[in-house]
Amino acid sequence: MQNEEAIIQQLVEKFSLLKDKLHVPRAKRIVSDFLTREEFEQVLPYVREEMGFYRASHVLGTDEGEDLGFIYLLTNDEGIIFALKEKAPKSNPKISSLSGEYPSLEFHERELVSLFGAEVEGLPKGPPYPLPDGWPEGNYPMRKEWNQEYFDPHTMTYNPPAETQKKEAEKSD
Amino acid sequence: MLLGLGKILIFPGFLFLTVYSLLFEYLDRKVYARLQNRMGPPWYQPLADFLKLIGKEVIIPAEANKTMFQVLPVISLSAVAAAFIYVPVLGKEAIASFEGDLIVVLYFLTIPTMCLFLAGWYSRGVYATVGSVRTLTQLFAYEVPLFMALLAPALIAKTWSVTGMTAFFAEHPLYILINIPALFVALVAAQGKLERVPFDTPEAETEIVAGPLVEYSGRLLAIFRITIDCELVMIASLVSAIFLPFMTGNIALDFVLYLVKTVAVLLFLALMRSVMARLRIEQMVNFCWKYLAPIAILQIVINLLVRGWLGL
Amino acid sequence: MTEYNRVVIPIGPQHPSLKEPACFTVTLEGEKIVDAVIGIGYNHRGIEKACESRYYTQIIYLLERVCGICSHTHTTAFCQGVEELAGVEIPRRAAFIRVLVAEIERLHSHLLWLGVAAHEIGFDTMFMYTWRDREAVLDILAELGGNRVNYSINTIGGVRRDIDDSLKQDILKMVDALEEQVKYYRELARSETTLAARLAGVGKLSREDALKYGAVGPVIRASGVDFDIRKVDPYAVYGEIPFKVVTDTHADVFGRTVVRVLEMLESIEIIRYCLENMPDGEITAKAPRRIPAGEVISRTEAPRGEDIHYIRSNGTEIPDRVRVRAPSEANWHAMKQMLLGQYLADVPITIAAIDPCFSCTDRAIAVNSGRETELMDWPRLRQYSVDWYKKRGIDVSSVKMPERRSYF
Repeated sequence: MQNEEAIIQQLVEKFSLLKDKLHVPRAKRIVSDFLTREEFEQVLPYVREEMGFYRASHVLGTDEGEDLGFIYLLTNDEGIIFALKEKAPKSNPKISSLSGEYPSLEFHERELVSLFGAEVEGLPKGPPYPLPDGWPEGNYPMRKEWNQEYFDPHTMTYNPPAETQKKEAEKSD
Repeated sequence: MLLGLGKILIFPGFLFLTVYSLLFEYLDRKVYARLQNRMGPPWYQPLADFLKLIGKEVIIPAEANKTMFQVLPVISLSAVAAAFIYVPVLGKEAIASFEGDLIVVLYFLTIPTMCLFLAGWYSRGVYATVGSVRTLTQLFAYEVPLFMALLAPALIAKTWSVTGMTAFFAEHPLYILINIPALFVALVAAQGKLERVPFDTPEAETEIVAGPLVEYSGRLLAIFRITIDCELVMIASLVSAIFLPFMTGNIALDFVLYLVKTVAVLLFLALMRSVMARLRIEQMVNFCWKYLAPIAILQIVINLLVRGWLGL
Repeated sequence: MTEYNRVVIPIGPQHPSLKEPACFTVTLEGEKIVDAVIGIGYNHRGIEKACESRYYTQIIYLLERVCGICSHTHTTAFCQGVEELAGVEIPRRAAFIRVLVAEIERLHSHLLWLGVAAHEIGFDTMFMYTWRDREAVLDILAELGGNRVNYSINTIGGVRRDIDDSLKQDILKMVDALEEQVKYYRELARSETTLAARLAGVGKLSREDALKYGAVGPVIRASGVDFDIRKVDPYAVYGEIPFKVVTDTHADVFGRTVVRVLEMLESIEIIRYCLENMPDGEITAKAPRRIPAGEVISRTEAPRGEDIHYIRSNGTEIPDRVRVRAPSEANWHAMKQMLLGQYLADVPITIAAIDPCFSCTDRAIAVNSGRETELMDWPRLRQYSVDWYKKRGIDVSSVKMPERRSYF
């Protein structure tokens, strides 16, 4: 684990905000705690340019309750995966697009937009991915509060129980 | 008169041509399948395919030129059938012949290709357009070597008639040996004419679906399909008439010989189809002009020299 | 040339060269490609959402159906991730069986690819040959797991099927015969001129671009990058198996073909090693039903490249988040780079050369209703189908089936 520890040490020396926020769960893995957007953008260029994590395998979204989490899986030449995490509140889920530095993230960022409702600033224009045409706006299926039981794929509408009850109530009136 | 008409329409004319072409398609598919370690179709499969297609609905694209779309398959089939009249099947004599009919046959054989081009062009689809442009590009590549390869023997035979050439080479079978390079060129170019692997770029299924024929369906497609089969028979007959005119004098025996020779040509073409990958269009054009055309020209020069040397 | 001369050709969503739906809109000048737009996403069916409402053991079967071809690799990645979370050590024999099946799967996947690639360039004879050889591999997999593609070998804590002596002999016989064939294909790739003419120089992807666009698997290895998870981050027993990572410097479709063909020979060696050195013993370890809270990034080397699974547990029987980064997903980004400047004729083979798996990319889902499970071997399965048809008035019992087919 020499190498992973060395990387962490160098990073913590450079950025004091990362203190106690980096972990090595096993060989070839470095996992960070969730950072804010400012912290993330401060750390990323250094990780990319100086630490050699110039390949991005993936970015995945998670639902953190009040926040949306974004986990970037960056790889270096030794095959170490650095899971750098970023967090943004659901009320204002804005992150910057990394598709310029890491072209391999473009489709994954589109996925964040469609499935999590993230606002990825700077993402080049393109077709939405991967939801079908005619998907209702404002429906982000990978958020925990979205339940597929209430989605009708034939009409492409999402009817959560509160609204359904209201509609039924209207009908009976 | 009636006998002549019978010959043209029934045997060895049109009816024979279509029946034999279905048989040819079967043989081609069967050999191809066996070479690929597959079972292959039963003998009646081509006929069944043909009948099924005839029974299917014809769909004409809204943007296509309706008249041309319907007329083109018929024109191409009749051109091949007309060309077949001048090729000897039963014995040395074709149904009809005159001095210069070789040129006529070659032009008749160009008509189906042109029809294919126009068919794609008038279909107005993207795949069809790309396919027909490829058809035309390919035409310019193989046509010259093919013509030269077929004309070279004519220089020795000193006649421009297919029947005359057959007669001449039947009398002097050894002269055939001189024409072996031309035979090779003719066979390879024929593969291009018939748009078969490795020269099936115009209808490359994995790229442009079916090329010029992509919009065709029902009986119009059936006619095109049978045209292509007839073209195969026609080319095999022409090659065997010009390059392999071994005769016994007995009509029945000669007819059997004709069958053997054409099937041999078919086997060669089927073998070529199964051992190669499809070339790109520019590779195909390069190949034709770099190798086939020079060989054909060389053949013509050799034949001219031989002619002068032997004082033919 | 002006805009006027440009033709826009849609390849897909339905097209003979695509085995699954995707849409490539290519703009042509003559026969040359000047622009390409890649449209994927036709296969999205929400597998990850489905994972968040199912038990861990159910998810194995769900993830197995992410991809029909590399079904084993997804379950391996998932199972070893969950095992890491739960702190379960799988028995050595189970690890050997996982590797063995993974390599047999690689053989079947690469043979399939070789056939598809040959078909894309109009070389149908080779297509038929490789698929015939693939049948032998599939038969082994069917014998091993009871099914041709979704063989359900993995379970949390080990594997579900053991390998007995007769199966071992069958596998050895199969790989011996297959080795001959693969060597023949290697010669074919080197000597057949039309094949080389169609593959060399097509779909160029330089080493730098391959790294930049995050390509994985045979694509990046054909660009000269020595990157194979089996070596970089060894899992199961790959750390102790001697094998070499095949790379090539052609950086084109020809290189990708060579890499895959040579990889098959390596796989055959690994299979032999596994069969010889497999220890006796248990094949499963006890795994808890509730997985301790935590997160894990698990990766395996699928036939198409690096497969990453992210699993997060919240301490219950149901995971909090499962994310599958299938290898094809990583390879799409370099596609546009490979297509530009190519001829239209090369589009199918260039697309095919990354061995795309659209279902993997979009992650499909297919769930069967919960029926009682039952193990069936081939003869019983056949008897079942005969009876099924008989009930419906069709008697097929007279149709003879050979016991074991020989393909070579």
